[in-house]
Amino acid sequence: MSENAAIKILICQGTGGVSMGAKEVEAEFNRVIAEKGVDAVVGKRCDVIKTGCRGLCANDVLVDIITEENGRVTYDFVKPEEVENIINEHIVNKTVLEKRKAKPYYNTFVDQQLRIVMTGCGQINPESLDAYLEEDGFKAVQKCVKEMSPAGVIDEVKKSGLRGRGGGGFPTGMKWSFCAGSPGELKYVICNADEGDPGAFMDRSVLEGDPYCVIEGMMIAGYAIGAVAGYVYVRAEYPLAIERLQMALDVCYEKGYLGKNVMGLGFDFDLRIKKGAGAFVCGEETALMASIEGERGMPRPRPPFPAVKGLWGKPSNINNVETFANVRHIILRGAEWYASLGTETTKGTKIFAVTGKVKHTGLVEVPAGMTVSDVIYKVCGGIANNRKFKAVQAGGPSGGCIPAEILDTPVDYDSLIKAGAMMGSGGLVVMDETTCMVDVARFFLTFTRDESCGKCVPCRIGLKAMLDVLERITTGQGVPSDIDTLLDMGNTIKKASLCGLGQTAPNPILSTIKYFRHEYEAHINEKRCPSNCCKELLLWQVVEEKCVKCGACFKACPVDAIRWEKGQIAFLDQEKCTKCKSCYDACRFMAIE
Amino acid sequence: MVTLTIDDKQVTASKNATIYEAAKAAGIQIPVICHDKKLNPFGGCRMCLVEVEQMKGRQIPACTTPVTEGMIVRTTTDEIIKARKMVLELLLLKHPIDCPVCDAAGDCDLQNLTYEYKVNTNRFQDEKFNWKIDYENPLIERDMNRCVHCGKCARICDEIVSYGAYSFINRGINAKIGTEYDGPLNCEFCGSCVSVCPVGALVSRPFKFKARWWAMNKVKTVCGYCGTGCQLTLGVKDSKVLTTIYDENQGFHNGQLCTRGRWGYQFINSDKRITTPLVKKNGSLQPATWEEALNVVSAKLKEAKSTPDSLAALVSPRLTNEELLLTRKLFKDLLGCDNVDHSAGYAHTALTSGAKESLGYPASPSVVADVQKSDLLLVINADLYQTHPVLGFEINLAVKRQGSAIQIVSDKKGKLSKLPEAKTSIYKPGAELLVINAIAKVILDENLLDSSAQSTGGFSAWQKGLESLSVDQAADQCGIAADEIKAIARNYAKAEKALILLPTGMGYPGHGKELAQAVINLALLTGKVGKEGSGVLILGEKNNSQGAADLSIHPTSGGKSALDIIAGCVSGSIKTLYVAGENPVVSYPNRKLVETALEKVEFLVVQDLFLTPTAAMADVVLPACSFAEKDGTFTSALGAVQRVNRAINPVGESRSDFRILNDLYNAVSGQPAFTDVKAAFQELSGTVAGYAGLSYDTLGDEGSVRPVSGTATFVPVAAAAPATESGKLALVTGSALNHSGTLSVYGEGPMLVCPEAYVELNREDAKSLSISDGDQVAIKSSTGELRLKAKVGSRLPKGVVFAPYHFADASINTVTAGSAVTFVTIGK
Repeated sequence: MSENAAIKILICQGTGGVSMGAKEVEAEFNRVIAEKGVDAVVGKRCDVIKTGCRGLCANDVLVDIITEENGRVTYDFVKPEEVENIINEHIVNKTVLEKRKAKPYYNTFVDQQLRIVMTGCGQINPESLDAYLEEDGFKAVQKCVKEMSPAGVIDEVKKSGLRGRGGGGFPTGMKWSFCAGSPGELKYVICNADEGDPGAFMDRSVLEGDPYCVIEGMMIAGYAIGAVAGYVYVRAEYPLAIERLQMALDVCYEKGYLGKNVMGLGFDFDLRIKKGAGAFVCGEETALMASIEGERGMPRPRPPFPAVKGLWGKPSNINNVETFANVRHIILRGAEWYASLGTETTKGTKIFAVTGKVKHTGLVEVPAGMTVSDVIYKVCGGIANNRKFKAVQAGGPSGGCIPAEILDTPVDYDSLIKAGAMMGSGGLVVMDETTCMVDVARFFLTFTRDESCGKCVPCRIGLKAMLDVLERITTGQGVPSDIDTLLDMGNTIKKASLCGLGQTAPNPILSTIKYFRHEYEAHINEKRCPSNCCKELLLWQVVEEKCVKCGACFKACPVDAIRWEKGQIAFLDQEKCTKCKSCYDACRFMAIE
Repeated sequence: MVTLTIDDKQVTASKNATIYEAAKAAGIQIPVICHDKKLNPFGGCRMCLVEVEQMKGRQIPACTTPVTEGMIVRTTTDEIIKARKMVLELLLLKHPIDCPVCDAAGDCDLQNLTYEYKVNTNRFQDEKFNWKIDYENPLIERDMNRCVHCGKCARICDEIVSYGAYSFINRGINAKIGTEYDGPLNCEFCGSCVSVCPVGALVSRPFKFKARWWAMNKVKTVCGYCGTGCQLTLGVKDSKVLTTIYDENQGFHNGQLCTRGRWGYQFINSDKRITTPLVKKNGSLQPATWEEALNVVSAKLKEAKSTPDSLAALVSPRLTNEELLLTRKLFKDLLGCDNVDHSAGYAHTALTSGAKESLGYPASPSVVADVQKSDLLLVINADLYQTHPVLGFEINLAVKRQGSAIQIVSDKKGKLSKLPEAKTSIYKPGAELLVINAIAKVILDENLLDSSAQSTGGFSAWQKGLESLSVDQAADQCGIAADEIKAIARNYAKAEKALILLPTGMGYPGHGKELAQAVINLALLTGKVGKEGSGVLILGEKNNSQGAADLSIHPTSGGKSALDIIAGCVSGSIKTLYVAGENPVVSYPNRKLVETALEKVEFLVVQDLFLTPTAAMADVVLPACSFAEKDGTFTSALGAVQRVNRAINPVGESRSDFRILNDLYNAVSGQPAFTDVKAAFQELSGTVAGYAGLSYDTLGDEGSVRPVSGTATFVPVAAAAPATESGKLALVTGSALNHSGTLSVYGEGPMLVCPEAYVELNREDAKSLSISDGDQVAIKSSTGELRLKAKVGSRLPKGVVFAPYHFADASINTVTAGSAVTFVTIGK
């Protein structure tokens, strides 16, 4: 970007944006600008810039237009066919298309956040080294090498209070110091980008939106630890992240930001990508390292810890994408600044992927310590479809759920653990009154059962046994002792399993029993699903008093089990009904039950 | 050392010990399923969970967690018992309860632990797996429905055997141990996986439904195949050897065996065994009584006493030390005949002449423990893995676990070439002496020699002998680039600890003595003899080859060597030939010549287990016993003197070689040589160097490594450029992995995997000759012609073909005549 390019058109091109047609929108902007000679017309250059994700993926394609006259204006749901109109009105005529502007909630969504890790995401072109350099790119690593000793860097990270963003929350500086203190010539820095939790996509967005900041974070770690080589372990399901990261690595090698004697600083650092083959367990650090080595991704016993004997038996330090992305900000702005954010025990910000029954799903970066309630209601606009909030599942399949009663739990590591959930990588799945908590537990357990590597007995067979019990309950075959069996098993599996997967897999069950035991009891004792979710327990019917005769259920029914005519109350034919629940989900008036 | 508390007991353990090991040493047994002391920690079964005061809130796997100072461990809290019971409950949820028909019953960790923890109910119900059972290989039944996922099979196959036949596949509850593409198992069939399987998921097919584990006697003994000297436990019932049983506490190899050791036992109770003496009457062998047979033989021996030069004996190094001593006493001392030899003569000269002259004793200066302590293993001939497979496991461990470098110098690649960062330098067949001398020359030229070398005897004469050697020229002649030779020399000389391994055997004619001397020169030059993790291992081929060398079962005062004896039979100077356990027709060079010799010799006695092609030509056949039917000792190639224990009664009327020879001694002299085996050992310990102080009774199950001592000296070894014949392929012979000598062909197991003779050739050669894998081809030399099955692969360099020597039908000595390389043509 040159300075006289006053007009910037930022088009969100994360995976969400691209899948909503951002490439076509970008092409259309370029075409119209070129064909109409817009640059000449307005007397300024128009830069069409692709950017990473800015969070509100639900509203893609998001286009920001920055002009002198109108400042920054965001349009959402942009389609290629309206591009010409936007250019004519906004850029040429300098009139904001008020009707097409993103609704106020978009600004609320953005303003309530504190973006540090994601500063670059959505602002700069992730494919441009120059754009990154303009944002003080690689200044942090230069500062480290020129002005700080490796021990000094570690101290700075320690002082900042940064904790691992992968979920465990281990103090990053401490982790680095362990690896730095391990004897050995050859050490490795590994970035864990095997983000596998259902509904979590913050690491993907960071890699897609600002790959250079992760590279810089790893270089700083490499310098601090004494590692000359690193790996980024990215799951192959993230093609765009891999593409952009690879592009960034190639440019870095070409321009001397990686390789021998980087930036003339007199230190060497090599970095390469290892694509994961889609196993959830490879997010576990020892399994991840086994996978890099070409072995089957199965966790290894610890000790020896990776800091002592990690990848290929060498001391290795492994951090998550978001952790590395924090590092350069700590170095540039100082540990004290960073430590001033957040709570006593959790510093800085945390990115959450908020999904589920919430109005505005997407990525939000908030200072640690904001309450769960604020994240859901203030940032994300509350529950969709006027339904009642029931719980939020934090930390994915390893986490637990937080019910309405303790919704004021602050989002920091320790409070979430206390609440029976965990920070995890930062997935928040919001559930409303139509979600059955037994079914939620069943869902997550199905996931972990399938993703267990099969190495240790409690996880491999134990989860299957627990799932069988849950399935029994959700199909009305449960017996009263099942709850105790689940609790007993869950607690034993947690203690006895080999790795984090098995040690946390019972959490969704244990926390749902803790907060929603009554739902379990209803399934077992009354053979009833209070949330009308477990289809074997349901007999669907139309509640005539509530029916507004809209016909939504009729349209949704895939087997013609609902009879409806305009202005008539719908009728559900039990004979034909397959209990698929489509009508229930379609009805916005709770008139089907 | 670290002090900790386990179950209120103060325990001291090495700082590298795990909680499990520390507890075990203190007499506290922690249950395990997936743990194996030979393998890297795994931590999968979760049976060994314990509580550690300092790590509250978690249950700690004892088998993977190292001890730390002051640790307070509890192994049997209520919580722990509960967790272990849960593990068993979960395993039994999926594991079929088919113990009544499972061969592991009685020896099953899951069964035993279930009993111990009294798990007689299960809170859960589930269907069992329905994996297809793999019956598609002859030796190992794989029933993955019974698998408990301890991973031991995959781990041992990878970590120790270095084959990698198994891996975990699939995820979650569907995870299982799979093979390549989940197809039928097709590996080298060492059976290590079967031995470590804690349940009945992997069982021996030949043993299936033969006996319950608890109904068998378990007899500890020593393997009767190669010179490695693996200890063995035989499973015996009703005086039959039914299987080999794994005992992880046996031997340096922790009970692990190779394919022939594990599966080759069936020859013992083979129905092909000769059960009565046979005497030739009217041109054919007829059953006879022992009295009759011994009378005929002893009469001939008495007759020969006056003309001892017309008598000769060929004795197998499979016999025990005591039997070999008896042979020596009978033929050399009593009958005055020095025409006694074994292993075709050439197969023992590396030890009996080479090492003897260079070191002062006919044995290796190093022991097995040196392998894993070495920084560099220099393997001469990649076939070491075939000749001594369990030593191959030690090499695998040295390279993969201890980080030792490995350099192979060979005429072909082998399995060892596939080890991580293994370097293989291929020389032209027959060029080995030249390569070794060239390496020595580089060390001299670059002044990399050890300070001790010049003061060692014979140095200057030897150095002088190498003066004219040009490394560049040698490189040209041997086929290894000069730079590569130089690199080998530098790496070897500079390695703090380097061990040379040299396999020998009847399949490897040529430079036995010279090659041993050349490598010993190399070791002396660099000061590597007499140092831990260094030196030379010259590996005798058979189970007691080293004993035969120690006891000098070869001509010692001008008598005829094996090949001269054969020639003497042809020429008529040898009139009576006594063959004990040897099978010259199949294993000595030039089959036709040997057959002529045995036809011509006036009187031929063969003492053997089987009616081998050699025995079939005899005048008298005396049925001998296998190692399982007798007591005595074997001395391994690694210097261990070990007890062989009688497991079953002699098959039929067969008698041990000891008894036969003793009876003959008695018949000739009027009194037996020894009262029993023990007395023979006693004499042996008094007369054989290194055996002094050993006592038959105190050898125990472990055996004892006998010491060696002598004065080392450099011996000049002349090396010529290898011969070539244009337009012909160079045939080299050797051992096949599944076989040992000509004995294993009577074992069912080896024959199921490797049933017939073959010739192995390179893909390119095969292509240019239009030969495909499995084709029958004609192989022709100046000695003879033979049809063999072709095996096409990438192990051999272009222009070289290989054939194993074990098979009586189509034996390769039909085309070979005892030189290192035989030039042949091959066609369809």
